[in-house]
Amino acid sequence: MSKRRQSPDSSRRNFLKSATLAGAATLAAPVAVAAQGNAPRPALKAAVPGPRQVAVETQPPSKDPVNQSSSGGDFMVDVLKTLDFDYLAMNCASSFRGIHEALVNYGKNQPEILTCPHEEIAVHMAQGYAKMEGKPMAMMCHGTVGLQHASMAMYNAWCDRVPVYVMIGNIVEANKRAPGVEWVHSAIDPAALVRDFVKWDDQPTSLQHFAESAVRAYKIAVTPPMAPVLLSLDAELQENPIPDPEGLRIPRLSRVVPPQADTGALAETAKMLVAAENPVIICDRLARTAAGMARLVELAETLQCPVLDMQGRMNFPSRHPLNHTFRRDAVLGQADVILGIEMNDMFGAVNAFSDRIVRTTRSVTKKDAKIITLGVRDLYMKANYQDFGRYQEVDLAIAGDGEASLPALIEAVKRLVDLGRQSAYEARGKKLGAARLAMVERAKSDATIGWDASPITTARMCAEVYAQIRNEDWSLVGNAIRNTWPHKLWNFDQAHRWNGGSGGAGVGYNAPASLGAALANKRHGRLTVAFQGDGDLMMVPNTLWTAAHHRIPILYVVHNNRAYHQEYMYLQAMAARLGRGIENAHIGTTITDPNVDYATVARGFGVHGEGPVVDPKDLAPALTRAIAAVKSGQPALVDVVTDPR
Amino acid sequence: MTRFHLVAAAALLLGAGSLATPGRAQDAPSGDAAKGKRIYLADGCFVCHGRSGQGGAYNGPSPLLAKTPMPFDGFKGQVRAPSNDMPAYSEAVMSDQDIADIYAFVQSLSGRGNAKDIAILND
Repeated sequence: MSKRRQSPDSSRRNFLKSATLAGAATLAAPVAVAAQGNAPRPALKAAVPGPRQVAVETQPPSKDPVNQSSSGGDFMVDVLKTLDFDYLAMNCASSFRGIHEALVNYGKNQPEILTCPHEEIAVHMAQGYAKMEGKPMAMMCHGTVGLQHASMAMYNAWCDRVPVYVMIGNIVEANKRAPGVEWVHSAIDPAALVRDFVKWDDQPTSLQHFAESAVRAYKIAVTPPMAPVLLSLDAELQENPIPDPEGLRIPRLSRVVPPQADTGALAETAKMLVAAENPVIICDRLARTAAGMARLVELAETLQCPVLDMQGRMNFPSRHPLNHTFRRDAVLGQADVILGIEMNDMFGAVNAFSDRIVRTTRSVTKKDAKIITLGVRDLYMKANYQDFGRYQEVDLAIAGDGEASLPALIEAVKRLVDLGRQSAYEARGKKLGAARLAMVERAKSDATIGWDASPITTARMCAEVYAQIRNEDWSLVGNAIRNTWPHKLWNFDQAHRWNGGSGGAGVGYNAPASLGAALANKRHGRLTVAFQGDGDLMMVPNTLWTAAHHRIPILYVVHNNRAYHQEYMYLQAMAARLGRGIENAHIGTTITDPNVDYATVARGFGVHGEGPVVDPKDLAPALTRAIAAVKSGQPALVDVVTDPR
Repeated sequence: MTRFHLVAAAALLLGAGSLATPGRAQDAPSGDAAKGKRIYLADGCFVCHGRSGQGGAYNGPSPLLAKTPMPFDGFKGQVRAPSNDMPAYSEAVMSDQDIADIYAFVQSLSGRGNAKDIAILND
C-alpha cells in the first residue's frame, strides 16, 4: 500500500509544532513559515500580494522547534491501556504514525502490535480473537486506502455481530496536509465508507474528546448486539504536544450488562414450551461465553427437546443426545413450538428455498406451529445491506440477549414442569437420543465411501485430523465451506471447541480469523486447528507471515479442491439450465494450471509446510509432523489435495 | 426434502446404499462403466456427488450415488427433470446411453464399507 512519500515541503510538521507552541499569533503566517523550510517550493503565482502575504513578509519567522516532550499519541495510548486491549493489529501507515510511535516507545508496545500485511487480515484477526477471548482487539489503518482494504472484513464482523475496535488515521485540516499523498489519504468523513456496518463512529477534535469517545466506543461495541466501532484519529491530534495535560481526564469504562428479556414474555414462552408436544430450539449466535452453552443444555434437558445448532457460536455439545442439527427437516416437520434464540436468519431456518428458474420457498414446519424468537438482533438494524434476511412471521418476538435471558426462562420452565410431564419428557428424550445415534451411525457409514481414494475425501481428511487431536485440548476455529464432518463426528464438548463462521460470507475470513482465535488460544495452551479452503487462503496467504512472525501456533489443514467450488457448481447449474453443456464450467472457477503448492508457499512465509498430500496413506504422518511443530509453538500447514466436498 | 433426496434418504434408512438391489440394477439398459466414469468426471457429476459417489453439498446435501438403489428409470428421470436444485441435463447434452453408462459406473463403485473396521471413525 502507498504510504506517505517524501513531500516537497518536508518541514510541514515542524511548522505545525511551532505554530502550536508559539500561540495564535503565528497561525496567520503559514506561507512564511513554510518558506523557511529546506525543501524547494514552487513559485507563488499570485500577482498581487494580499494582506496575509504582506504580513508573512513583514513579521519575524516563528520558532521552529525540533523536539517535543510529549504527544497527543501518548495520551491516546494511556486511554487505550484503560480499555484492556491485549493486542492492536495493524498495517503501518503514515496517517497514524503519531500514535504508532507513542505505542511502541511511550507505551512499551502495550497493547502489543500485531504486524499484518493487509488490513483485511488485521480486522479478521480481531474478529476471530474476540469470539474466542470474549473481548475486543484493536486495529488501526489508514483512513482512506487502509479502510478500503479493511472494509470487507468489517462487514464480516458486522454480520457476525462481533466487536472490533477500529481506529483510522486522517488529516482533518486541509491546510495541514502535505501536497500529494496526504491529500489523497485524507477525507472529510472517512467513516462514511463503512457506516452501514459499524455500530458507532466518531472523529474527535480534541484529546479530551478522544478520551470520552474511545471509552464510549468500547462500551457500545461490547453491548449486545455487539458490532464494530470506528474512531478517526486526526494526525495533528496524535502528533502535536499535549496542550493542557492537567486538564485531561480518562473516563472510567462502565460495566456492561447485556439486556435481559421481559420476564412476562419469558414466562409466556415457558408456558408454550412446556405445553408443547414437540418443542424445538434453534440457535445461531447464542453463546457469548461458556455460560451460554451450559444454560442452553440446561433448558434443553429440562424440556428434553431437540436443539438445532446453526453453529454461529459454540452453542451446544455436538454429541449431546438432544443435538439434532443434522436432522433439521425431520425435527422441524414435527414441531409445534419453535424457539429461535439469537437467530441470524429465522426465515431461512424454517423454510426451504428452491434455486430454480422460478425461485420458490416453502415452509418446512407445520402450519399451526408457533414460532418465538428471542435475541438482540432487532435492537440495532441498518437499512442498506440486507443481512437481516427475509421477514419471518412469528407469534412472539422477544427483544433481549439470549444468554442473559436463559436463566429466567429456565426458571420459568422448571416451575411449570410437574412429575407427569417429566415422565413424558424422558420418553421424548429417549426417542430423540435413538434417532440421533442412528444419524451418527449413518454418517460414519457414509464416511467410509471412497476411504482410500485420491484425491482424498473430506471425510477421511477430517477423521485423520481428529484421530490426532482428540486427546489434546483442541479448538477448531475455521472450517471449509459446507464441511459438516467435524460437527457430525467430533466431540465438541467445551466452549472453546468452536467459534463460528465469517458472518458475511466474505472470502478471506478463514485464514486470518483462525489466526486471531489461535492467538487467544495460545495463552490457554490449546491446540488450534483450522480447515482452510484454498480459495479463501488465496485471498490472504500473507496471513501465514503474521503467524510465523508472531509465533502463533496453529495447524492449517488446507482443503485443497483446487477450485472456488461453490461457484464451480453454480456455473455448472447455469450452463445446464441453458442446455449448453457444462464443459466450460471450470473457466474462472478453478485454481489449476498451475496447481498451487501451499506447503511451499507456507515455507516461504516461515511456516512449517507439509504436502501436497495426495495419497491418503501419507496424511497421518504429515499431520503428526505438523502437529509436533505446532506443539513446539510454530504455525504449520498441511496441504491436502481433496475431493470437492 | 425433495423427491430425489427422499429416494436417497429412504435408501439410506434401509441401509441399502451398499447393498444395491441386484434386480433393479439389472433392469438398467446395458452401460459401459469405464465410459460412464469418463462422463461422470468430465461432465461434472463428481462436482456435487464426489469422485467416489460419496455425495457432497451444493445448496444443500447432494445425495451419495455409489451403488444407488434407485432404479434406472428414476435415475434417468432425475437427470432429465430434477426435482431439486440439481441442474437438468437434456438429451442434447447427455444421451440416454451416457446416462446408462453413468448408471453402470455408479453401480460399480465400492460404496459403503463397514465403519467398525476403520478405527479412527470410532473415536
